[in-house]
Amino acid sequence: MNRRDALQHVAILLGGVISAPVMAGVMGEKTYTGESLKVTLDQESLLAEVADIIIPTTNTPGAKAAGVEKFIVRVVRDCYTKEEQKAFYEGLSKLDADSKTKFGKGFVDLDVTQKNEMVKQTTVDNKPFFLKMKELTVTGYFTSEIGATKALEYLPIPGRFEGCVPLKPGQKAWAL
Amino acid sequence: MSYLNIDAVKGNTYDAIVVGSGITGGWAAKELTEKGLRVLMLEKGKNLEHVTGYENAMKDPWESKYNGRLTVEQKETHPKLMRDYPYNEMTEKYWFNDADSLYKEEKRFDWYRPNIVGGKSIMWGRQSYRLSDLDFEANLKDGIAVDWPIRYKDVAPWYSYVEKFVGISGEKLGLPQLPDSEFLPPMDMYCVEKEVRKRIEKNYPGRVMTIGRVANLSKAAQAQLGVGRTGCQYRNKCSLGCPYGAYFSTQSSTLPACMKTGRLTLRPDSIVSEVLYDENKKKATGVRVIDSVTMQTTEYFAKVVFLCASALGTTALMLNSTSNRFQNGLGNDSGELGHNLMDHHFRVGASGTWEGDEDTYYYGRRANGIYVPRYRNIGSDKRDYLRGFGYQGGGGRGRGAWASNVSELSFGTDFKEQASGIGPWSMGLSGFGETLPYHENRMYLDKNTKDKWGIPVVVFDAELKENEKKMRIDMMNDAKEMLETAGVKNVRTYDRGSYLGMAIHEMGTARMGRDPKTSVVNGNNQLHAIKNVFVTDGACMTSASCVNPSLTYMALTARAANFAVNELKKQNL
Repeated sequence: MNRRDALQHVAILLGGVISAPVMAGVMGEKTYTGESLKVTLDQESLLAEVADIIIPTTNTPGAKAAGVEKFIVRVVRDCYTKEEQKAFYEGLSKLDADSKTKFGKGFVDLDVTQKNEMVKQTTVDNKPFFLKMKELTVTGYFTSEIGATKALEYLPIPGRFEGCVPLKPGQKAWAL
Repeated sequence: MSYLNIDAVKGNTYDAIVVGSGITGGWAAKELTEKGLRVLMLEKGKNLEHVTGYENAMKDPWESKYNGRLTVEQKETHPKLMRDYPYNEMTEKYWFNDADSLYKEEKRFDWYRPNIVGGKSIMWGRQSYRLSDLDFEANLKDGIAVDWPIRYKDVAPWYSYVEKFVGISGEKLGLPQLPDSEFLPPMDMYCVEKEVRKRIEKNYPGRVMTIGRVANLSKAAQAQLGVGRTGCQYRNKCSLGCPYGAYFSTQSSTLPACMKTGRLTLRPDSIVSEVLYDENKKKATGVRVIDSVTMQTTEYFAKVVFLCASALGTTALMLNSTSNRFQNGLGNDSGELGHNLMDHHFRVGASGTWEGDEDTYYYGRRANGIYVPRYRNIGSDKRDYLRGFGYQGGGGRGRGAWASNVSELSFGTDFKEQASGIGPWSMGLSGFGETLPYHENRMYLDKNTKDKWGIPVVVFDAELKENEKKMRIDMMNDAKEMLETAGVKNVRTYDRGSYLGMAIHEMGTARMGRDPKTSVVNGNNQLHAIKNVFVTDGACMTSASCVNPSLTYMALTARAANFAVNELKKQNL
């Protein structure tokens, strides 16, 4: 049963007590359309590259494979104030600019060792940006489908609870 | 009401009106319809259909847009509601936004108002404990406020009655201060909890640690299967609404029971602005309702009215129901209406890590914790404050990133390994303390400020006082001491501060008592002055106890509803 059917079902159950305007109100989807900074595709791929240094592909896929940059763009756009958004993307631009200064290439074009070096430098040069970026990467990754099901073990419907069982060899941490 | 005529009155007349569809409204409606009454249940919020209405309940973590974060717009539209966790991305649609639930604070008060059928029965914490005579006799023994007009023996059969229907998972202990419920099997404890329990009970005679008593079906009994409920799946997503009906809510439990009778009419989007009082009959005749969407006003009539709109909602409604006879609010001869506002105080305790049991883990997500029943000011124990507290909390084994040895500036392969690995076991205790009923802790209406439906807004003027502050010191120190004695390491204490309203256990503003001069309702939850009006939500509480109150509200509601039906039969109402 979809949402519309469910609501009409309710109206029938209630003997038509729900009036048309009530239905309209309940059906109305709220959308959040606050003003936000525009993010370019270049910025998005830059985010993906930085995230992939924080959580790289190992024997399980990393942040880029998990599409963490989409999560980061969304959270920064909708949950950060304009000032916080500005500070965040300035931090990102600075990382890219510093890469050019140091290696003559933008961050995206660096090799893995150079990228690691630049992120390391950011932990000192712009710690607030690094911590934000890390926090977003970590939460975005471990709640992504790849992070939750590959790096961790995800049980959508456990069906039972046992509080004290032997730890199996190779047991991954529960996703939730 | 231009179209009010005899036919309209007849069409709008029921045997009983129940204001509110939450935990107590659901129980009132269930009892009254099952006893043969035609009931109109009025809910301020919008409809929320069982199962299909729980839009976020089956979502995987990656379907969450912000992983629980609030958007800037949500923060702007919910400046008060965003103060604490119950309002989040996933429960957004269950709460009123602040603009639609205006209130004022002389002193900070956190008021959580649901905007749905089912009320807080959808988002409640489900911890379910009986009060005991330690609680019912407390005011009398301490010589404060007024005495409860009832004792444990009056409520005990009603606790049993509601528990068999609700389904409470828990462990029998035989404690006088925390009487056992009719239990479904207890949930399992974590290894660390089992060990800490043993050590606490060995080191502190008189103190006990048990698994939380919770309204989740560890095993569905016939009473629950009969209304379409199934057992707990251990997903720990209760507050989103449970598609399995595995915890007690209006939708999962009392509403289906009402619907079976064919005698319930549920009207969502219905703001009750006033209870109508007839001075000649000396009775309430019904209620006035504003449709929250169309703004249209309608009057409904009944022989008996149950006010179950939550402690503060009911009290606000009564304060707004004035007449020549009751100029200060419905049934408010005592002047106590709106006073003696209580809640529990919490957010204080201690936690630490457990070195050991590294070769053990757990399976499933338990929507429950542990419970340490009250032990202070019992028997020979005497403190420099009155009453006491219980602890909730428990163990757990999280991921490695939370281990203290992971540097905040680390990243890369090693960091990923640690962050996705299994961390140490941890254990915490968090106190829930009793608040005393102070006359000066109150709510009142600001007649000059009205909400968008033209109803005067509530003003809160209430605070924790010395007794609670002294108790909080014990709540913090005892937690630390017990955990350390039990072998928990790196124990850290915290007191994050507690404001009234935060625990969402608000109560006491239309208290129960023997004397109409000092209380609002009698021992049957009946207004002293208007025999056909009953208040059975948290407003009726004479003292707060330290245990979670919902189970008591249920028992008192079922008891009052059955009393009302008998009185109707005897033509006393």
